[in-house]
Amino acid sequence: MSVSDTKNTDTDNNTTHFGFKQVDKNQKVDMVKEVFQSVAAKYDIMNDMMSFGIHRLWKRYTIDCSGVRAGHKILDLAGGTGDLTAKFSRIVGESGQVVLADINDAMLKVGRDKLRNLGIVGNVEYVQANAETLPFPDNTFDIITIAFGLRNVTDKAKALASMHRVLKPGGRLLVLEFSKPTNEMLSKAYDLYSFHLLPKMGQVIANDSESYQYLAESIRMHPGQDELKSMMDEAGFEHTSYQNLTGGIVAMHRGFKF
Amino acid sequence: MPLPQLLTSAIEIGINQLLALDPDSPARLAKLKGKTLQVKVKELPWPLIFSFSDQVDVRTSQTATNEQPEAPISSDCFIELNLETLPKLKDSSQLTQLIQQQKLNLIGDIYIAQTFSTLIKDLDIDWEEQLSQYTGDVVAHQTFSTMQSAFSDLKRQLTTSAEQLSNKLTEPNGLSVSKNEFFLFSDDVSDIRSHVERLDARLAILEQKQLSRTSNTKDDTQ
Repeated sequence: MSVSDTKNTDTDNNTTHFGFKQVDKNQKVDMVKEVFQSVAAKYDIMNDMMSFGIHRLWKRYTIDCSGVRAGHKILDLAGGTGDLTAKFSRIVGESGQVVLADINDAMLKVGRDKLRNLGIVGNVEYVQANAETLPFPDNTFDIITIAFGLRNVTDKAKALASMHRVLKPGGRLLVLEFSKPTNEMLSKAYDLYSFHLLPKMGQVIANDSESYQYLAESIRMHPGQDELKSMMDEAGFEHTSYQNLTGGIVAMHRGFKF
Repeated sequence: MPLPQLLTSAIEIGINQLLALDPDSPARLAKLKGKTLQVKVKELPWPLIFSFSDQVDVRTSQTATNEQPEAPISSDCFIELNLETLPKLKDSSQLTQLIQQQKLNLIGDIYIAQTFSTLIKDLDIDWEEQLSQYTGDVVAHQTFSTMQSAFSDLKRQLTTSAEQLSNKLTEPNGLSVSKNEFFLFSDDVSDIRSHVERLDARLAILEQKQLSRTSNTKDDTQ
């Protein structure tokens, strides 16, 4: 079965993809949890190594697209080790609030320790939450960001609907995620890098090649730029758009709730 | 590669590294805590937004390519200027003058712009002290003494060379003029200009008199 075939059968039954494998939907949450439990401690260093530090610029781009200002209430979903939260926290100031949410307690703990060491306290809350069933009242947040997290969510449509629910009218959702390179040559080089070099780097740095094999596979299984935009439209977001970054290796999708 | 983010990242790292080297900067930075300054340099396609907390966060405002431009980010102080005026912001006392000269458009609290200007201008970094943390006091002191001495020598040599060149050009060959000659010439030119202006004014008066005389003669003959 080809990758695209597997993707298409995703919602047909009770199975879903975990990388290139088909697994029971109920199993995926635990399997993803295991992956991030394993890489949490080395997550930041691996991000820097894998992306040559460019992930910092992609995250900056997301913040630049957010229209954030002092007093805003922000949900940094799948916030991991808190890169976006750290910056948002300083910008929203004492009158604002940032909620760093992640389904994985190990990632949340690494994020909390890192931010506290940076002196970021006071306007940041830490919540262990599943993106599909966000534990917040309707119309709570001015901005929701999910950076490199959506592809790990089992039911993406449900998660997008949940995000739409908790977003305030006038608020915006920003999805930063790996996507499909737009250039054929770049795509081939990227495949070579992510399927051959990446797992080896994972083995050397985090002593875990399987998790990084999953990372490469999960990126290929994630919906492309236009497909994700359509999913956001279906979830009720308006004025949706996306911007390819670094030749489409990553795309930043944006949608508003009116 | 997102270039605007690369630029803002470099500015942010630069500012915060410099502030970290000045022990007095936290007190100056505290005056700006919670404030936002937006700088629109006309030559750049996007604004620079400075948010102040325990550090300075620099970002920009991005709109997707297929979207209408968004409303500007609300900030406590908005400055619009061109690249040429940018270095003049170092001197906060010049801000009012620049606004009057219409070289600077400022909306919001001028105090934020002045305080930010002071924050950068008053940076006082003891580079010898910084170096001594890595090399020890003796090496740092010797390095800086040598550098200062070399700098003084270089400055002296440059001044001497400039004077020698000036003398060569002005005295034996007369290729150029000395500063005093230039000022004398400028004064002469100013004097001639004044004379010409006075002459022009007198001619105008005479012309007017002639015209009125001619018109009176015509009236008498009629």
